[in-house]
Amino acid sequence: MVEGLLAPINLVIAALGAGFLLPLIARRSEGSAHALFWVTQLYLLLISGIWLLRLMNGAPAVEIITAGIQPPFAINLYFGLFEAFVVTAVNLSAILGGWYLLNYFRGRASAMSVYLILAMGISGMVMTRDLFNLFIFIEITALATYGLLALDKSPASLAAGFKYIIATSLASTFFLLGTMLLYYLTGTLNIDDMLLHLDRITGPIGLAASVLLLVGVIIELKPYPANGWGLDVYETVPAGVAAMISVGVSAGAFFALYKIVPLLADFLPVVAAVGGATFLASNFIGLRQRNVRRMLGYSSVAQIGLMTLALAVLNMLDKAEYVSLVVGGLFINHLLAKAGLFWLAGAVDRPGTEDWVGLRRKPLLLVLLGVLLAALAGFPPFPGFWAKWELIMQLSAGDLPFWVFAVLLGSLLEAAYLYRWFGFALRDAEQPPQVEKVGRLIPIGLFALSLLACGHLIANWLGLDAARVLVPVYMGILLYALDGMPGRLKAIVVLAAFAAYAYPVAMGLEGLHWLFGLILLLGGGVIAFAVLHRSDARKGFYPLLGMLLFSLVSLLDASTSLQFFFAWEILTLSSYLMISLGRGAKKHILTFLMFSLGSAFLIMAGFGFAYGETGSILLSDLSNVQTSATLVYTLLILGFLIKAGAAGLHIWLPGAYSEAEDDFSALLAAVVGKAAIFGMLLAGLHLAVNGAGAVDQVNYVVGWLGVITAFVGALMALFQEDVKKLLAYSSMGQVGYIITAIAISSQLGWVSAGYLTVNHLLFKGLLFLAVAGLVFRTGTRLMYKMGGLDKNMPMTFISVLIGIIAISGVPPLTGFGSKWLLLNALFDKGWYWQAGLAFFASAVAFLYLFRLIHTVFLGQRKTAHKDLREAPWLLLVPQILLIVAIMAFSVWPKLLIDPITTAIAGNFPEALIWEGTALKSRLGYWDGFMVINIVAGVFLVPLLILLFLSRFMRIQKVKQFNIVFAAERPATPETSHYAYNFYSFYEKAFGSFLKPRATAFWDGVSEWSNTIGSTLRVLYTGNGQTYALYVLFYVVMIYIAVGGMG
Amino acid sequence: MEYWAVKIGYFLITLGIVTVYGLLLGATVARTMAKVQGRIGIPYWQPFLDIIKNLGKRTAVSHGVMFYLGPVFRIAGGIGTLAFIPVIYGSEMFSNFNFAGDLLLAIYFVFFGQLGMALGAGESGHPFSAIGVARGLGQMTAYEVPFALAIIAIVIQYDTLSINEIVAAQQGGMTNWTLFTNPLAVVAAMLAFLGMTAYPPFDVVTAPNEIPIGPPTEYHSSFLAMMATNRAIFAGAKLILFMDLFFGGANGLIEMVIKTWAIYMVAVVVGASFPRFRVDQSIRFFLRIPTLIGIASIAFVQIFLIA
Repeated sequence: MVEGLLAPINLVIAALGAGFLLPLIARRSEGSAHALFWVTQLYLLLISGIWLLRLMNGAPAVEIITAGIQPPFAINLYFGLFEAFVVTAVNLSAILGGWYLLNYFRGRASAMSVYLILAMGISGMVMTRDLFNLFIFIEITALATYGLLALDKSPASLAAGFKYIIATSLASTFFLLGTMLLYYLTGTLNIDDMLLHLDRITGPIGLAASVLLLVGVIIELKPYPANGWGLDVYETVPAGVAAMISVGVSAGAFFALYKIVPLLADFLPVVAAVGGATFLASNFIGLRQRNVRRMLGYSSVAQIGLMTLALAVLNMLDKAEYVSLVVGGLFINHLLAKAGLFWLAGAVDRPGTEDWVGLRRKPLLLVLLGVLLAALAGFPPFPGFWAKWELIMQLSAGDLPFWVFAVLLGSLLEAAYLYRWFGFALRDAEQPPQVEKVGRLIPIGLFALSLLACGHLIANWLGLDAARVLVPVYMGILLYALDGMPGRLKAIVVLAAFAAYAYPVAMGLEGLHWLFGLILLLGGGVIAFAVLHRSDARKGFYPLLGMLLFSLVSLLDASTSLQFFFAWEILTLSSYLMISLGRGAKKHILTFLMFSLGSAFLIMAGFGFAYGETGSILLSDLSNVQTSATLVYTLLILGFLIKAGAAGLHIWLPGAYSEAEDDFSALLAAVVGKAAIFGMLLAGLHLAVNGAGAVDQVNYVVGWLGVITAFVGALMALFQEDVKKLLAYSSMGQVGYIITAIAISSQLGWVSAGYLTVNHLLFKGLLFLAVAGLVFRTGTRLMYKMGGLDKNMPMTFISVLIGIIAISGVPPLTGFGSKWLLLNALFDKGWYWQAGLAFFASAVAFLYLFRLIHTVFLGQRKTAHKDLREAPWLLLVPQILLIVAIMAFSVWPKLLIDPITTAIAGNFPEALIWEGTALKSRLGYWDGFMVINIVAGVFLVPLLILLFLSRFMRIQKVKQFNIVFAAERPATPETSHYAYNFYSFYEKAFGSFLKPRATAFWDGVSEWSNTIGSTLRVLYTGNGQTYALYVLFYVVMIYIAVGGMG
Repeated sequence: MEYWAVKIGYFLITLGIVTVYGLLLGATVARTMAKVQGRIGIPYWQPFLDIIKNLGKRTAVSHGVMFYLGPVFRIAGGIGTLAFIPVIYGSEMFSNFNFAGDLLLAIYFVFFGQLGMALGAGESGHPFSAIGVARGLGQMTAYEVPFALAIIAIVIQYDTLSINEIVAAQQGGMTNWTLFTNPLAVVAAMLAFLGMTAYPPFDVVTAPNEIPIGPPTEYHSSFLAMMATNRAIFAGAKLILFMDLFFGGANGLIEMVIKTWAIYMVAVVVGASFPRFRVDQSIRFFLRIPTLIGIASIAFVQIFLIA
C-alpha cells in the first residue's frame, strides 16, 4: 500500500488529478483548495525525495509502462538517479516557489492548478523515455507556462505569453515532425530502442529527422538569437513564476536534450556551438541590463547555454563520466542560485539594479544576495566552482582551447553584471529596500544553505577532504555567527584561531612553501594584530578577515592545482568583500573583482592546459609539462601578474589599496599581494627552473614588465596627494622589482626576489600601519592637510622614517641589500637595460618618499592638529615588531639571506658566497654588518662633536612660524607649508608621457564589451512575428550547419 | 683591535687631507669664477675662516630634533661616501673602508646625507627649504639616469663592481683609462657630473645668487659650519669616485690632486659659460642627450668591447 503510494508514476497522476480537482474544490471552499495544492506539492516532493535517497543507496532504476500496453498509446517512464535528482530539485523549487505566489494564488484556483500541471509536465519531460510522450509533456509544460503568464492579464504579460506560445509551438511542431520521421525510420518511439537501431537513422530523412528533433529541443532552451520570446517573460511574471520558468522549465528542456544527445552524436559540435554562442552572447547582452529580472533572465539563458556546451563537449570527447559532475554541478548551482535570486528579486521588488542601493543596511538580505551571486559567478565552495573547474580541465585535456577561453570570457562577463548589481547593494542609502515578510526569506536561505551543502558534497565526491578544504569558509560562517560579540573580542578570537590553525600547517612546510609560510602567516599575523586598535564592532569585518587569513593557510597547504585555485578564489572573494567595507571603496570594487577574476581564470586555464598534457593536477607535476610549457607558463604568470599589479594590468590596485579600511590596506599590500609572488615563484619553480619545457622568452618579457612596473609605479606615486594612494603606487613599483627578480630565474635573482618580498612586507606593513594611525588621528588622507606632525606623533614618524629608508635602498638599512642583490642579479644575467631602468625607478622613488615624510611630518603643522595625540599603542605594537625585524636584518643580513638561500637550495648553481659577514657575488661584494657599523661610527662622531659644541652655544628652541618667509613671519600654516602639487615641475618635464594610457585602454575594453552587448541586443525587437521568424531562420541555420545543404 | 685602530687612524688622515683639499678647491673655484666676472674674489683661506667663524657663534636656534640632526646626517653622508671609496690605488693607507662594499654601496650611500639633510631642512618649516629639496631631488633623479648608464657600461666593460678592480684595469698608461677605452660612458657621466655639482646651468636647486633656497635656508652657526665642511668632503669624495672610475685612479696624492682638479674644472668652465635652466628644463635635458649617450655607451661596450 505504502509502496504503491510512493510509485513514481504518482508524480504524474497526483499532479494531474489535483490539477483537475482544484478548480472544482475551489468553488466550494478556497481553503480546501489551498490545502489540496500544498498537500499535493508535498506529496510530489516526498515521492521524488524518497526515491532519490533510495537510488542514491543503490536501488535499481524504475521503469514504468502504464495501462499495460506499449507506447505511444501509453506513458513510458524511466526513473533513475539523474531523473530522481532533477525531479526532486524541480519539485523543491516548485513548492518553495509557491510560497512566493501566495498572493498570486489567492482567489485563483486555476493558477494553482496550472502550476501543479507545470510541475507535472516538467517531471514528465524528465522521466519519459518515449519521444512522443516527450512531445506531449513539452506541450503540457508550454501550455501551463502560457497559462501562468496569461493569468496575470496585464498587457505586458499577455504579450509576453503570446510570443512565448508562438515560439514554443513552433519548437514542438519541429519536434513532432522529427519524431514522426524517426518513427518512420526506426519503427519505434522509444529512445532506448532507437539507440539500438542508430544505423537506420541515415540518409536525407535521417538527417532531417535528427535536425528537427534537435531544433525542437534546442529552441526550448532559448538559444541566442532565437530567444527574444523567452526573455520578456522573466520581466513580466511574478518572481515565483519566473523562478519556475528559469529553473524548472529549463531543467525539463535540458534534460530532454540530455536524453536525445545519444541519438545525435554527429551533431554534437553544432550543439556545443549553439550552447557556447548562447553563453557568450547572453552574457555580453547582460552587461547592458539594468533591470534585475531581465538581467537574471539573460544569466539563466547563459547558464543553460553553458550546460548545453558542457554536455555536448563532454560527449564529443568521450568523457561522459564527467557529465554528472560538470553538468550536474552547473545544473544544481543554477537551479538553487537562480531560483533564490528570482525569489529575492521578488521579495525586495525593486526593478532596477541601481534601486538596490542601501541593501547593506539589511545584513541578512545582503548575505543572501552575496551567497547566491557568489555561487552563480562560480566562486568556491559552491557547486558551480567545482563544475566549472572540471569543465575547463576536460576542455583543455580535449584540446579545445577556444572553448576554454570562451567559457572563461563568458563567466567573466557574467560576473561583471552580477557584481555591478552587488556593488549597488553595497552602497549606503537613506532608504534601504524593504522586505515585508521576513518569512519569505526562509526558502532563499534554505537554497543558500543547500548550495553550500552541495558544494561540500561535490568536494568530497572529487576526492578532496571537504571538511579540511572548506575550513576558511566554515571559519567565516562561524565568525559571522559570533558577529554580535564586542569588536576586540572578535579580533582576539580571529587571531587566536588563525594562530592555532596556521601553526601546525606552517611547521610542516618546506622550501619555498616554508619561506612563504613565514611571509604570509607570520607576517600576516603580525600585521593583522593591528586590527586590535579599534574597539568598535566592525560588522562583517572579522568573519571576512578570518576567511582571508585561513585561505592564506590553505594556499600554502595546497598540493594540487585544484586546492591552490580553491584557496586563491576564496582569497579573492574575501579580499573583495573586505575592500568593499571601506567607505570610499564602492567605485573601485568592481574593477578589483574583474581583474581578480580575470587573473583567476587565466590561472585556471593555465592549470587546465597543464592537466591536459600531463593528466595530473599535482602542482609538482607542472614540471612535466613540455609541449605546452610556454602556454601554461604564460597563462599562470599573466594571471599572477594581474594580481601583482604589473604595469598596464594595475588599474585595480590604487583604488583597492587606498580605499580599503586603513588597517586592512596594510594587510592587503604587505601580505595578500605576496600571494601573487608566491604563485609566480611556484610557477617559475616548476616550469622555468625545473621544467621540461623552455620558457626563457616569457621570462624575458616578464623581466621587462617588472622594471617598467617599478618605474611607472614610482612615477605615479609622485603625483598623489592621497597618502594611501601614494603607498599603493609605491607597492606597485616595489612589486615590479620582485617580478623582474623572479624572471631572472637564477639563484641571485630568486634570493633577491625573496629578500625584496620580505623587505617589502616589512616596510610596506610598517608604512601602511603608520598611515592608518595618521588617518585615525587626523581624519584625512590628503597629505597637504597635514604637516609638522613629528612632534605630535614621534613614534609614527620614526616608523615612517625607517620605512622610507628601508624602501629607498640607502645603506645601511635593508633596502640596500635588495638593491645590491637585484642589480647583481641583473648584471649577472646580462639584463643591462633593465638595470638602467631599475636605477632610474629607484631614484624616482626618492621623490615620493621625501614627499611622504616631509608633507606629513615636517614643515608647518596645521593649527587644528596642535593637540593631536600619538597613534593608539595597539597600532604601534606591530610597527615596533616590524622595525625590530628591519633593524635586525639590517645589522645581520645573513639572518634573512640564509633562510632564503636554503628555501631555494638545489634548484640553481650557487652564485653567492659568504665570507664571514661579507657576501660575495661574481661581480661585487657587500658586508652589511660592517657597513652599518661604519655608518654608525661616521654618524655618531659628528653627533658627539655637535653635542659638545652645543654646550657653548645657547640654543634656543623656537616655536612654529619662527621663520621669515616672503618678507614676513607667516601666521597660518596653510600659506607656508610646501605640500600641494609638490612635484609640479616633474609633471611639466614629462608632459604627455604621463597620460593615463592603461586606464584609457581598459576603459576602452569596457566600452567595447558594452558595445558588443548593445549590438547583439539589436536583434531583440520585442515583436512576436520577428521572433517567430528568428526561430525559423535559426532552424535553417542549424540545418545548414549540420551539413543539410550537402 | 690594533688593526682597527690603524685603519681608523689612516682614515682620519685621509679625511683630513680630503677636507683641506676640498676647501681649497672650493676657494679656487670661487676665485676662478670671480676672475671670469672681472672681480678679484676671496682669498684661498676664506672657506677655513668661514668655518671657524661659524663654529665660534655663541647663539643658535633649533626647530626640533630633526633640524638638529640634519647637518649630522649630512656630514655623515659625506664622510661615509668617502669611507667606501679607495682614494689612492694600491695604497693601504688610503684604501679607507672600501672592503665593506663595492661600487653600488658608494653610489647608494650618496643619498644618505641628502635624505637626512632634506629631513632637517624640512623641519625648519621654511617653504624655501622644501622647494629647494624638491627641485634638488627632481634634478637628481634625472642626472642619475646618464650616470647609472655610464656605471652600467663600465661594469660590463670591466666585469666587476669592485672599485679597486676597476682602477686596476685602467693601469698601464693613459690609453687604458676609461676616458679612452669607453669615451661615451665618460661623456655621459661627466654630463651627469655637471648636475651633481649644481653649478650653472643646474644651480636652480639652491639659487645661490638671489634668495637662498634649499637646505641652507634656515641653517646657521655650527650647523652651517658642519654643512660647509661636508661640502668640501663630499665634493672630494665624488671627484675621487669619478677619478677612480673614469680617469685611471691615482697612484699618489699629487696625481689625485691634479686629476680631481681637472675634473672639477669641467663643471666650473661650463658653469661660468651658461645661464641657468629651470628645473623642468634640466630634467628634460638630462633625459635627452646625456641619456642617449649613456645608452650608446652600453651598446658600444656590448658590441665592441665584450663581444
